[in-house]
Amino acid sequence: MAINQGLSHLSDHFLMVTLVLYFLAVLAFAADFAFGRRSLAEPAEAAVPELVTAGAAGAGAAVAAAGAAQASAADLARATVDSATVDSATVDSAKASGRTGRPAPASRPSLRDASFWVRAGLGLTVLGVIAHMAGVVSRGLAVHRVPWGDMYEFIIAVTCVAVLFFLGLMIRYRPFRLGLFFMAPIVIIIGLAQTVIYTPAGPLVPALNSYWLAIHVTAITLATGTYVVAAVLAVVYLVADRHARRVAAGLPVRNGEVFRLLPTPERLDQFAYRTVVFAFPLWTFGIMAGAIWADEAWGRYWGWDPTETWAFITWVVYACFLHARVTAGWRGRRAAYIQLVGFGCLLFNLLGVSLFITGLHSYAGLS
Amino acid sequence: MTETSRMTETGAAQAEAGQQASLEPTSPAPTPPAPSSAYRALGWLRWGWRQLTSMRTALILLFLLAVASVPGSLLPQQGIDPAAVQQYYTSHPGLAPWLARLSLFNVFAAPWFAAIYLLLFLSLAGCVVPRAYRLARSARALPPPAPRNVARMPQSVRHQTGQDAAAALAAATAVLQRRKFRLRTGDGWVSAEKGYRRELGNLLFHLALLGLLGAVALGGVFGYKANRLLVSGTSFANTVTALDEYHPGRLVSSADLQPFTITLNKFAASYVTSGQLRGQPSSFNAYLSYSAQPGAASQRYDLRVNHPLNVDGVKVYLIGHGYAPVFKVTDGAGKVVFDQPVPFIAVNTSGLTSEGVVKVPDAKPDQLGFAGVFLPTAVDAGGTLESAFPAPLNPRVSLISYQGNLGMNSGPSQSVYSLNTAGLTELPVAPRPLAPGQSIKLPGGAGTLTFTGYRQWASLAITYDPGQVPALIAGLAALAGLLLSFFIRRRRMFVRAHPGPDGRTVVDVGGLARSDPAGGFDEEFARLAEEFRVAYAGETSEGKTD
Repeated sequence: MAINQGLSHLSDHFLMVTLVLYFLAVLAFAADFAFGRRSLAEPAEAAVPELVTAGAAGAGAAVAAAGAAQASAADLARATVDSATVDSATVDSAKASGRTGRPAPASRPSLRDASFWVRAGLGLTVLGVIAHMAGVVSRGLAVHRVPWGDMYEFIIAVTCVAVLFFLGLMIRYRPFRLGLFFMAPIVIIIGLAQTVIYTPAGPLVPALNSYWLAIHVTAITLATGTYVVAAVLAVVYLVADRHARRVAAGLPVRNGEVFRLLPTPERLDQFAYRTVVFAFPLWTFGIMAGAIWADEAWGRYWGWDPTETWAFITWVVYACFLHARVTAGWRGRRAAYIQLVGFGCLLFNLLGVSLFITGLHSYAGLS
Repeated sequence: MTETSRMTETGAAQAEAGQQASLEPTSPAPTPPAPSSAYRALGWLRWGWRQLTSMRTALILLFLLAVASVPGSLLPQQGIDPAAVQQYYTSHPGLAPWLARLSLFNVFAAPWFAAIYLLLFLSLAGCVVPRAYRLARSARALPPPAPRNVARMPQSVRHQTGQDAAAALAAATAVLQRRKFRLRTGDGWVSAEKGYRRELGNLLFHLALLGLLGAVALGGVFGYKANRLLVSGTSFANTVTALDEYHPGRLVSSADLQPFTITLNKFAASYVTSGQLRGQPSSFNAYLSYSAQPGAASQRYDLRVNHPLNVDGVKVYLIGHGYAPVFKVTDGAGKVVFDQPVPFIAVNTSGLTSEGVVKVPDAKPDQLGFAGVFLPTAVDAGGTLESAFPAPLNPRVSLISYQGNLGMNSGPSQSVYSLNTAGLTELPVAPRPLAPGQSIKLPGGAGTLTFTGYRQWASLAITYDPGQVPALIAGLAALAGLLLSFFIRRRRMFVRAHPGPDGRTVVDVGGLARSDPAGGFDEEFARLAEEFRVAYAGETSEGKTD
């Protein structure tokens, strides 16, 4: 079927708009670090670990806000508060949580608590991701297939998944200050995709002309986008954890202000783990779907083609990460390093193997 | 794996410890009398087994497996691209034999690679089997009693109610029952547990990996792989001699090959004709006739990439294509000694420039040989010819002619795609590309070669793998197990109720997720606690939380 050039150009325009919006979002998130500090009632998010439950967090946050931010909020939660005044207050909070069906609204700061800059950054990101999705969809309509058939399309789709997952994380856990760390790499990746490896819309080579493209590559795209988020979280975790250790050891620290605004290292570690838990089954499914497709196309479900080998290596390293998390002596920093090694393997498979090693998966469209 | 199951299993762990204590006297552990060497060996074996099945060892083996796979992707592999291995030998003559000695050209069949994955699977089995027993036991076991201080649980909340303790507990029990928790009640407390399928999923995943290994082995032992290049208009039967390449599994004999016959009636390729992607293929069709057995009715099949032919469980794939120029050679005696298509192999994909050789051993007075290049769409690019498009829009053949001894009757067997020029002398023929129908008259009365036309060929892969379906089932089971173990959390709820100082009943609710990979137990706990509060207090009560 012929390529619809109009839609293809429309897609390019959408993605240009996306890049601009994301870039502005990065500026806004950065401005929040520079100017927005005082406007955010931060302790509620920074000091209350997730152990705190429904009404407890309401009381905990109230007390914490009153100045006891250093005390463990979990202890606060367990202390029985007998005073009649607090009693009525907590009943209200319990009712509120019962009505919304969501516990502990106070343990997750609402959007109203965020600074102007954070709200601006999030708004720009949402607008950007809408343009991003429009770009992906119009590219797909232009070529009459799923729009992840070459390297350029794949990277655009992966970043779209990453931004959507990031927004999901924001909605669920509200780690507002992570916006900068997510969106800056995304802007760089999309910028490089548009300049260095841009490929015009075209038909697929016969080897890719299968409905398994929609299944296999979609799963791999979703998993990769999610792994991007996990990798960013691992890096932020490692930096924040290093800072926390230095503080605990009484060593001099720089930029302490910045770290106070970030989620605790434990929280970051947990985010990263949950993200990988989401991505790993997708990756597993993607490899399996790829094996079925390989059987259809090449006559074997597994043949140690370089791309297959690296997908396997990536799978094994992320499996190591998941096991390391529950093994004494491997938790924390070591697990985070393993996760980053896994992400390195993923990147090598995407870039190194596709571009430098000849194999059956050489479809990058970058001859 | 082992250590997860050892985690914080307070009640069950104590029960286990009791059982182990009762079993202890049968093994000569505490005061061994003058340890015999047999006992020492047994001790070492037990120590070794414990080490092997520990999580740490499994992790290290898993890492080793990843690292060991790396050279397999960076160095050419015998099983994937034998020509590239030969190439490597030529370009690194000093290094290649050493790499071969270390099996680095055959990583995935290397003994050390097998050692890693077999140890890993042994470690896995040693971990999974005892856990299966534990799971079977815990499938009937009751949750442990509620701890004395429920507020010490990772999740806890305190309610107050006007109802008495028994009624409050009954209300909480009803909620837990409705939520399908397994319950245990005692004096003033209720404990409940849910999510046993998580452990089941975990086991299923690891067992499925063992099954996957078995399926791969099954295919390797009872399956076979073969290749055959087929020029359009010709046929072949699936017998060992008719196949270009044949890799049988260990227990496959030539009699096990399914006796089908395939004819390639026509091969058609189409390409993008304009734009930036000009020349990129858009479809390949190999129009086949086949009969499943000798004498069976002939059927037709349009073989395409991603669309294999299935004959009695054997699959036939289209994996390559190219041109076979047809040559007619008349020798010096005036006799037609050669008239057939010769498959040429593409050396570049954008224009399908293809190379091949013609060997005419029957020519008199001397044998003749030709090394040639076929250009589907020949264009003059500044003095040299090249092919601008993969379809045959302007086909030309350019040949170098040789006369002498082809060396086919002695020495090692030759490839049909290369010419051994040691016994040959190049003939002085003007290098003129031939169009279909044109001829070269060889000097000295050696004969004439005519390029009469061309056909297309397709190369077919033929595979039989009885491990395929088991591998798929194992893969699906692994995925199901993974999802169960990730998204089901095993969690316990504890409720204790006692009269408070002001006469109202104090209800402590505690919760513990023994595993919560995907997160969300905090929210579930809060929901349950809220349901309790509503249940024992009624819609209008003033529950109190802290």
